[in-house]
Parts: sequence; C-alpha cells; structure tokens
Amino acid sequence: MNARYGMVIDLDRCTGCGACMIACAAENNVPPAQPRATYRTGVTPMLVRKATNGQEGALRREVFVPITCMQCEEETPCVSVCPQQAVEVDKATGIVMQIPQRCLGCRYCMTACPYHARYFNWWDPQWPAGMENSLNPGVAVRMRGVVEKCNLCHARLHSAMAKAAAEGKREIDPADYVPACVEACPTGAILFGNLADEKDPVYAAAHSADSFRLLARIGTEPKIHYKSTQAWIRALAERSTEHSGEAQHG
Amino acid sequence: MKVSRRDLLLGSAGVAAGLVFTPVPWKLLGDASIWTQNWPWIPQPAHGPIETKQSVCTLCAAGCGIRVRMAAGWPVGVSGVSTHPLTKGALCPLAFAAQQLNWHPQRLREVRHRGRAASWADAKAAFEKACSEGPVAIVDGRPGRAASSVFEAFAAKHTGSYQVVLGPENRALLPYAEWSGVPVCALGYDLENARTVVSFGASLLDGWGTPGRFTRLWSKRAAGQMDPPLRLIQIEPSLSRTAARAWRWVPVKEGSEAALAAGLARVLIEERLTSTKGPVPPMTLAEASTQTGLSIEEIRDLARTIAANRPAVVITPDANPAVAALNVLLGAVGASGGIVLRGKRRAASTIPGPANNSLRAVLIDATVPWEYVPQSDAEVFRFAAWDGGNSKADWLLPAPGFLEELTDLPTEPTSAVETYAIAVNLLTPGAEIKSATQFLAQIDGSLPEIEKVIHARCEELFKSRAGTVFAAKAVAVAQSESAQKLEEQLRGGGVWMNDAPRSGSLPCTLKQWPTDAAKSRALDWASLWAPAVLPPLAGKLYQESNLREAPARRSA
Amino acid sequence: MLVTAFLLEPKLGTKGTIVRRNLLVFLSGIALALVAGWAVFPKVLYVQKDQPLDFYHKTHGEKSGLATCDSCHVVAANGEFSGIPRSEVCAGCHTEKLGTTEAEDILVLDYLKQGKEMPWLVYSRQPANVWFSHAIHTRRGGLACTECHGSYGESDQQRVYEQNRISGYSRDIWGHSISRLRRAPHDGMKMTDCESCHRRRHIEVGCFGCHQ
Repeated sequence: MNARYGMVIDLDRCTGCGACMIACAAENNVPPAQPRATYRTGVTPMLVRKATNGQEGALRREVFVPITCMQCEEETPCVSVCPQQAVEVDKATGIVMQIPQRCLGCRYCMTACPYHARYFNWWDPQWPAGMENSLNPGVAVRMRGVVEKCNLCHARLHSAMAKAAAEGKREIDPADYVPACVEACPTGAILFGNLADEKDPVYAAAHSADSFRLLARIGTEPKIHYKSTQAWIRALAERSTEHSGEAQHG
Repeated sequence: MKVSRRDLLLGSAGVAAGLVFTPVPWKLLGDASIWTQNWPWIPQPAHGPIETKQSVCTLCAAGCGIRVRMAAGWPVGVSGVSTHPLTKGALCPLAFAAQQLNWHPQRLREVRHRGRAASWADAKAAFEKACSEGPVAIVDGRPGRAASSVFEAFAAKHTGSYQVVLGPENRALLPYAEWSGVPVCALGYDLENARTVVSFGASLLDGWGTPGRFTRLWSKRAAGQMDPPLRLIQIEPSLSRTAARAWRWVPVKEGSEAALAAGLARVLIEERLTSTKGPVPPMTLAEASTQTGLSIEEIRDLARTIAANRPAVVITPDANPAVAALNVLLGAVGASGGIVLRGKRRAASTIPGPANNSLRAVLIDATVPWEYVPQSDAEVFRFAAWDGGNSKADWLLPAPGFLEELTDLPTEPTSAVETYAIAVNLLTPGAEIKSATQFLAQIDGSLPEIEKVIHARCEELFKSRAGTVFAAKAVAVAQSESAQKLEEQLRGGGVWMNDAPRSGSLPCTLKQWPTDAAKSRALDWASLWAPAVLPPLAGKLYQESNLREAPARRSA
Repeated sequence: MLVTAFLLEPKLGTKGTIVRRNLLVFLSGIALALVAGWAVFPKVLYVQKDQPLDFYHKTHGEKSGLATCDSCHVVAANGEFSGIPRSEVCAGCHTEKLGTTEAEDILVLDYLKQGKEMPWLVYSRQPANVWFSHAIHTRRGGLACTECHGSYGESDQQRVYEQNRISGYSRDIWGHSISRLRRAPHDGMKMTDCESCHRRRHIEVGCFGCHQ
C-alpha cells in the first residue's frame, strides 16, 4: 500500500452539530468527561471549534471548524520531539501513528503541535458500571498519563485490511475504510480518501481553488484540507488563535 | 561459627551480584512494566464475535435507520444506513453514543413507588384497583404503533381514555389540520419539492424532524452556493446553527414572528405576488416594521424573494397559527413542495373519555416526553427506561431501553409520504424490565399481541401492492414475493415508503387572519433529544469543548 | 568439600582467614542467587491454571475427520478470526456425549446443555493494544498454523496453562525458555519475535501494522 490518507472538510457544510465529535469518542473508547474536566483538560480527538467574523448583530457570521490531527507529512512536529519515539509517520498510509502505551506523558508533543490537536489523559478512564460492554474491541483503552490524538480510525483500516486478505485481495476496498467522523457527518462535510490517488475525489477537492490548509505557511504539509466559497473563512487559515472557544478575524 | 553482620552484607552482595547473571531482575523489570499497564480498574472491551445488525432507532419518532456493530452480543457502535430513503445515512449527533444508554447511571431497573422500591406485582395490583375504582387514561407519545392499538383496545374495553402527546413538528401542523378538517397525523412537509424554505426559528439543520432528511437535502442542493436551487431563509433573533448556514438570515426581534408573517402577507396581497385568496392581516406594514426591527423595504424585499422561487413553504418549530396562515397565502397547503396530505392511512384516533380531573389513574407510556405532567391528581403510573429526575409520578416502572423492545414505527412525523418500519429487539432485557403493553397484557390477556399486529400490518402492506421497501436494495412492493418476505426485510432493518401522494389540494377555510401566536422560545439543543437522559459522551459537546451551551435541564 | 575445608581451616589470627571466609560467604551468595534465579524462579513465577476440560486435538483430528486447523479455527468472510471456537461449534457434533471421558461429561452437561460458553484460557492472548490478523498472515502471508503454534494441533493431552503471576499473560508469550536462548522457533510471541520474522522476510510494517 502506498497511500496518503487525508480529508477535505467543507466549512460551508459544517453546521457545528458535533456528531463527528461524539462518533469519534464512541469509536475510540474515549471516556465520558470527568466532573472536573473542561475544554482544556478534556479528550476530544475530534474537536469542532467556532470562529466568527468579529462583527455583532445582523452582520455577524459564524463558521464551525472541525479540528483533528492534521496528519502532517513534512517535518512532523510531534514526531521530531518525542523522546520515546512513540509517534511516527506511517510509510504505507501517511497516517501519523502514535502508540499511547509507549508514551511516557511528558507532553512535549502537545507543545509542539501547532494545531493543539493532542490531548492528555489527566484521569484514568471511568465508565458507569456495565458500560464497558459498549466499548469498541478494536481500540485499546488508554490509562491516565498518556497523550492521544486522532489516528484516522485505524481500527477500521485494520478491519478493511483483514477483510481484503480474507477475500484474497491485495488492496482494501475504499468503501470499507471510512473513519467515524466521516460516516457520522449529517451533511457529508468531510470528504476522506487517498490524496496520493489522482482519481480519488479527495484529490480534486484538495487541489481546488476554494481549498486551503490551516497554517500552511509553517510548512508541515498537513493532509487535512478545508474548503469554503467564502473569502472571510479562507482568510482565517493563516491566523493562529488562543486556545479558547472562539477565534476572531480582525 | 557465628554469623556476623559482615556475613550478611557480603552474602547479600553475593546474591545481588549473582542475580545479575540470572533472569530474575530482567524478567521482573519487564513483567512489572507490563503489570503497570494492566491495572485491573482500567476497563477492557468485551471479546467475542463481531456482527453488524441493521435496525431502526426507537429513541424518537423519526425512526432513523441504524447499523449496530455488536461484539460478544453487546452493541459497541452505531452508524447510519445510507440506503434509508429519509435519512440517507445521517443520524442526530447523540445517536452515535446511544449504545451507552442502557448502562446510564439513571437507568431504571426496578419498580419504584413514591421513592421506595416496589415490585411489579404491587404495581399490577394498584393499577387493577385503580381500574375498578374509576376511569383510567392511557397517554401515548408515539401514536400509530402496534402498541398504540393495544392501548386503544384497553381504553375501549375498560371505559378509559386514550390520549396522544404530539411532538413539536406534528403540533406545528395543527393549524392546517384545523383549517382543512384533516387529522394532523395525515399531514406532512414536502421538502423535497420545495425551492424556498422559510423557517421561523425551526432548527432545520440542527435536529428538526428526521435529522438527516433536510441536512442531506440542503447539503446537496444549497450548501456553499450563491444562487442555490433550494433557498433556506432563516428568520430568528439570534444566529443559530441553521441561521449561520442559511442562504439568508433575517434577524428579527424576539417574539415578533407573527408580526413579520403579517407584514409579509400584506406585501404578498398588495403586490399581487400570490394568486391564492386569503384574509388580509389587520397589522400594517409600519406596525410590522416596528415590531420586527426590520425596515418596510426589507420586509417588502423578503416577501418578493420568497415569492420569486416557488414552491415556497413556511416552517415553524411549534404550532403557530399566525405564521401558518402565511403558508395558506403562499398556496403551500395541499400543494407540491408545501404541506401535503400523505395518504389515507389510519390517523391517530383518540378516545376522549372523561375530563382529566375525574380520572382515577393515568398510565404514561415510555414514549411520552419526561416533562409531560398530567393535569389531574390521578395516580400516575409512569413507564420510562431512564429516570429524568424530579418525577411527580406515583409509580416509576422500568421500561425497555435502547434496542430492547420489538416495536414498529409508523409514518415519520414530518415525512411527505407514509413510511413503516419494524425495530426488532437486538438485546433481551432482564425480567425486571416490562413495556406498558406487556404490563397491560398481564392484566387483560385478551388484548392484541404486538407480534400479531405487526404481522397483520405487513400483510396489509403486501396486499396494497403500493410503495417500495428500502432494504439492501430498493424493491417495489408490487414485486415482493410474499408478506412473509416483506416482514423479514422490515425486521432486518428495511423501511417501507409509499409512492408519492397523488392527492391534491387541501382546501383551507380561513376567514380571518389568526391572531393566536406561539411565544417564540429558543429550543435548547438537548431538548430536541427525546430520551430523558443524555448519553454520557454528550459532555464532549459542552463540557470538554465550547461547541454548545450546557443543557438547561438535563445532565449527561 | 576440600575447598570448603581449606577455606574454613582456622588459621588463627591471619587476615587470610577472614578474607577466605568473606570470599566464601560472597561466593555462597552468588551460588544461591544462581540456583534461585535459574531453577527456582521460573517455577515460582508461573502459576498453573486449569482449562475447563481436557481437550485433545489428536482425537479430533483422527477420529472425526477434522483434519485441518481451519475446521474449527476459522477466518470469517469479514476477516475476523474465530480464535478458540465457541460452544456452538462443539455442539455441532457433541449434541450428546460422543465418548466416555470425564471431559465429555463436563462438555455436554456443564456447558453445552446449559448454553454456556467455555471459559478457555488462551495461550496466545496478547495485550489489548496488539492487532494481529490471522487473515493477513495465513491468506496473504501463506503462513502455516504450525509456524507460530508449533505442533499443538497434534496434542494428545491437555497442555497445562501457565500464567505469569506478575504480568498475567500466558507463559507462551515469553516462551518456555526463561533465558530465551536456544528456544524453538515458535516458542514465544513477544514483539521481538514478530519483528524478527518480519525482518527475515523483509516485510516492513509501521507501528500501526501491529498496534491498535
């Protein structure tokens, strides 16, 4: 396999419903919030943030931006700082692979990530009694003290690979590998596919005039693209913001 | 030979030196590190065969198609069904964590009588006593089901009343039902054929009706386009999610929707933008302008925009006659793209029975929203799977939860055509869980059985030769092999959908412009979620992020 | 003996006595450690646990025509591996007792007739964050079952399950040789064992090739 999995997220279609956040947490066995957790200490491998055009009243405009690991291709910041070598860019798929069980919890990668897309498990995971029966067996549960992030629903890629092998095929069927957020989105705002395949719809979308990447100027070559027909939204791409609820333009 | 301290030290040194050349320290280090990664309090997923089953969600009346991934017999993941004709694979946000609901801390697992644990036998005795002492009412939150026919039968036989609680999308259709004399459950919204949708605060892109239906439609036909074939105009005081993505957002002052509707109606009549005859609203444009905060020119422009791309339809979040009248004027009632009549299937019939204040007992089905409070001092028998807190009910009776009950789903509340689906119980609840129909069957064994009613309905569908079953493939009923096969497909998660309605207009008699207006209330996002409790993961949306506001009344 | 006698021989007042005694004590320490570490430790580290009943692969192979491993250990169409088969697979033949052994009694009476699953202890159980696909290794890789599982398929007695008291995993994971020297090719299922095979065959997989 020589794929480069990535996404193009259409911000004109994202309604900020949060289905992707819930589906991601359910798929990846992310525990429900501890009573003391806040947006700074929570674990949300997919996080939808709101940005506005800074105006109030009738002139106010809002956009919802789903933020996830950008799967940086070049000089991946988290890979370069990890003292444990717990994270690596997969040569076969382009996915930035992190093994939480190898992490020692120094959180250097969280500092290094320009997109604040990494989350630390401040607490041991806790579910109400019996709810562990609803855990996804394809994903290992993390204990406290380790960092985690989006891994493009690697468990689903595994299932697709096993199914292809059982059917005697060398390549997976793309319909079998759909990350949870992509599947959950009610407006189909997230387009997922192989950016290395020119025939894949995601390739055309990523190369269209309306598409952009966040903080492209720092050169990490993220594989998560965004698109919008609205200029004020595209202009948000090169701004970095404080890690708060809203980002403002101007 | 005395063993001295030096001997001990030297001996220990020797042991230590020797140990280095044994597997002990190295193996212990390795094993200890593995031990630290396997704390017993870290939950592990269940191991077992993985299966995927298709069914229909029963948490609200929408009945979205769901694919449930099961491991070792437990549901571990929920996703949509792309071949479902209404949802096209979409679900509401919280549905993706629905598999957690059955283990919610507030799950009801025992009968409770005024706060104390009781037994089903106690509840049965109390209910039978109540039935013998006076009239009993049964309240149903989802009319038209097989269970509903059981409730109706019980009420008829035991001189009780059968009452129905409608959801907001159904209630919004009440004005048209009144004006045209048609039962409200026979009306639907034909959004697929509309070209302009004017929403007076209805969260069309965030939880209105069947979640996927309008979002998919809008995504395909409107999103990101400057001049889309489907124009969504959102009229709302603040920038909601729907307003933020709408083609036009019209910010009006809070509570002024009726005034805007009146103003728009005036323009439509004055500028002859509509051919349908209707009553003239008493309000002048100047008054409308003052109340809404829009200028007269803005109101005129809006009316022209709405009339420019027909069919146009107006949608309100709840019953709002003063705004609904606008649909009459736009010619949207009984026409394609508007409020339509969806066939002549049996509508919800209520058995009125005695007045509420003379009732001896009220039995509330689990499908009735938790907030519903019967207006009487009757003894309340409340069925529910989850305890929403602060219940005034005398009896709390544990009902089946998610995927735990065999039930059928009558036409989805907002659909333009009739639909039918069956939800098979993929899980078997314990003996302490009973549905209201099971409870009533214990009291009166002659009541119809759910399985038999569903079977009869499938036979009826098959004989009608109408519509299509959307299973793995869409198959016209006329080409279906047998009623048995049809039932099997529905039990496997398929959905039946009728052909497009052929019926024509719905004549509405509207003598004067209604002055009755609903108070506009911002619907909390969590209140559009039907069950009494939110799944624990809901906290991601408001506690571990700033995406949504914390819900007003419920906790996860 | 002579050495000890020599070392213990009192030579009053000489430093040599003390040094020799010290050396003796030290060497005894080493000896004690070596014995404890190599002979006692492996026995004490593992605890033996019982399987629900005695199962002999050989009987099933010979007598019932279940000649190949995949008669019961199946790779499903969706790529999932059945692992140790569920009771319903055994019930396929053992609806009633087929033999006269005690194992047969336990199987039919205690489990099959009560519809219960047998709580087998899995020798090759890996940690939760390990992903191993039998479909990929047997179909794409063309590996025979014996490559990793040895001749277990011909067992004519129930192999004892030994569990590491500290880590909780089966002894099969580390392998029976406590030093991991001179071990059989299929003895041991640690990450290094997977890695060495992959290296030999030049099959590169990233972290997520084996982890989840």
